[in-house]
Amino acid sequence: MSDKFIKGLSRAAAAVSFGCVLAAGVAPAAAADVTITYSDWQLAQDIWGKSLKEAFAEFEKQNPGIKVATEPVALAQRDVKFTTAIRAGAGPDVFALDMNPVKQYIAEGWVKDLTPFIEKEGGKKFLDDFYARSTGPLTEAGKTYGVPKNIVAMVLVYNEAMFKEAGIQKVPETWDDFRAAMKTLTKSTKAGGPVDQWGWTIVAAKAGFDLRFSVILRGFGGDFLTPDGKKSALDSPAAKEAFKYVVDMIQNDKTMPPGVAQVDANGARRMLANKQIAVKIGTTWSLPEVSGMNPALDGWKVLKMAHIPQKTVDGSSVRSTLYQKSLFMNPNTKNPEAAWKLIKFMTEAKQMQRWFDDNNMLSARKSVNETYKPIAESPFAVTVAKEIDRAAFLPLTPKWPEILETFRVNLQDAIAKSKSPEEALANAHNQVNAILARP
Amino acid sequence: MRDNYKGYLFILPAFLMLVLILGFPAVAAVLQSFNLMWVSKPAFTVGAYQALAQDPEFLRSLLNTVLFVTVVVSSHLAIGLGVALLLNMDIRFKWLWRVVAILPWTMPDVIGGLVWRFMFDTLPGIVNSLLLRTGLSTEPIDWLGRPDLAFAAVMLAESWRGYPYAMLILLAGLQAIPRQQYEAAELDGCSAFQKFLYVTMPNLKHMFIIALVLDTIWESRLFGMVYSMTGGGPGYSTQILTLLSYKQYFQFFNISYGAAMAVVLATVLFFISLPYLRMSMRQRI
Repeated sequence: MSDKFIKGLSRAAAAVSFGCVLAAGVAPAAAADVTITYSDWQLAQDIWGKSLKEAFAEFEKQNPGIKVATEPVALAQRDVKFTTAIRAGAGPDVFALDMNPVKQYIAEGWVKDLTPFIEKEGGKKFLDDFYARSTGPLTEAGKTYGVPKNIVAMVLVYNEAMFKEAGIQKVPETWDDFRAAMKTLTKSTKAGGPVDQWGWTIVAAKAGFDLRFSVILRGFGGDFLTPDGKKSALDSPAAKEAFKYVVDMIQNDKTMPPGVAQVDANGARRMLANKQIAVKIGTTWSLPEVSGMNPALDGWKVLKMAHIPQKTVDGSSVRSTLYQKSLFMNPNTKNPEAAWKLIKFMTEAKQMQRWFDDNNMLSARKSVNETYKPIAESPFAVTVAKEIDRAAFLPLTPKWPEILETFRVNLQDAIAKSKSPEEALANAHNQVNAILARP
Repeated sequence: MRDNYKGYLFILPAFLMLVLILGFPAVAAVLQSFNLMWVSKPAFTVGAYQALAQDPEFLRSLLNTVLFVTVVVSSHLAIGLGVALLLNMDIRFKWLWRVVAILPWTMPDVIGGLVWRFMFDTLPGIVNSLLLRTGLSTEPIDWLGRPDLAFAAVMLAESWRGYPYAMLILLAGLQAIPRQQYEAAELDGCSAFQKFLYVTMPNLKHMFIIALVLDTIWESRLFGMVYSMTGGGPGYSTQILTLLSYKQYFQFFNISYGAAMAVVLATVLFFISLPYLRMSMRQRI
């Protein structure tokens, strides 16, 4: 290769480089100059993950200067990952939480105060479309720390075909009727074979326990804590009755599959999908998830929903538990404006409709639930929306995760016959009071 | 002399890295246990350590840890020695058996825990399936739902997963025993068992101590296997100290309390490792 050729090539390269530098100086700044990280346990789920990613693509289109990088996290690891990262000055810019740890995040300063952003959007006017019961728990001393996205109440999800096959015409409305129905549903599907179909199952493993057991407690008229949240209410007659009812159905009636202590929310869904059980406690999300696990079930047709049974037909006013997913901003974010844009986008009415279309999730916005036609026409959405008025959040105290786990461990002890139901519940009551008494 | 200093400079980056990776978390845990770091209102207190002594859950977990480590380390040494003896014999495809024997150790403990959990699952698990098919049981056994069985199942799973570590140490020890000692024993008319008792075992003494100490430390800080298999349940029946510390620190956000548990465990492990450290120092001298 001649020197002349090499020199020529060098000059050409220099000219191209110079041109690029000039172009960079003259042209407007590159479009994608901010990247927002978003973390959510549902990113790892097929249906939710797809829906969220489609929403981010739309967001990026609307906001050419902002890219969204997703960070999936397992639900069981969520708080470990978030809190460690936030304390170390890092973590995702925007993240999703259910209500369980929210008060702790606020108390420890692990979520950013969103009041200034909300004020810019019109303050009260911006929040007015959300249910007051949704925004209330996200507010502390007049400051709002999160924006609600979805809200649902827990109900019974049952397989209507299995009910009919067992000769049960009416969905049980009282716990006595429910118990009888579960006994009828528990049987062997092969003549002379062992029992391979059970009435229902509770969730006694950690993932999903909170939303399932609480409705039984509330359906009996009991609760975990006294209304002021300062003492355990597990010594109430209603709590004792609910606790014994569940343990009896496991140990004596055997209307739940063996191994209930290890059953988590997904395990219960799988059993319903495979027709091993006929009933579980769930909500609107159960439909796409159970149907996805076994398309042959034809879940959207055979599964139905009904309210949680009660002690008497006109029993306690609260008989269910609310689940809410809200979005929060990391106090360490370097791009608060872009992070707010993402939160606002994810909670606007149009996206709320997407969450229903794709995931069957009700909105935390009243206007969406009341005016969006597919919601009004869905029998599932109607059943769940009705229950929102008869449901309450789990205790909103920073000590809730510890209280819940203490209760769950004692229930497991009773299920495993390590303690009698009375002893286990008394133990839970004393331990919860000790936790609440700690500074 | 100046060259010595240069040597220190060369290892300085690695030393600083070690201080950051190992030293910082250790110091942070101690500071947190005294309520001095990563808490909303830092103020020196030994309250977390005082509370530990009165916490029945801590004492139960400590007892579980002692029982777990005793059984699992004993089984590792027994299985490890047996397999090491087999692999030290002149057998065909020795390399293949060595690979097979070491496989459990290559499995991350969380994955190992999940595999065993599925095996012990009440309904679709292979263990119950076999028992039902062979007629050894008429109904599924709730392996992980009964406290006694759950603890036994976890110990069995960890005995399987961790034995290759002891096996490798003991196999190295076996291979270092001079052949002449066995030949001399044979000339003296020793049986195979006598050779094992009077030649193999005394020569393996140091390796046994090393395996015992290192495996005790390893198993005392085990987390993933138990967490993924039972999560510490049912009740508190399989809850070991590392799980309780994790729960307090990351799930309940009782940072000082969780850190105090970790510091207590680390202190106990430090004292357990002293014989090994003394032995290592002697060998250096």
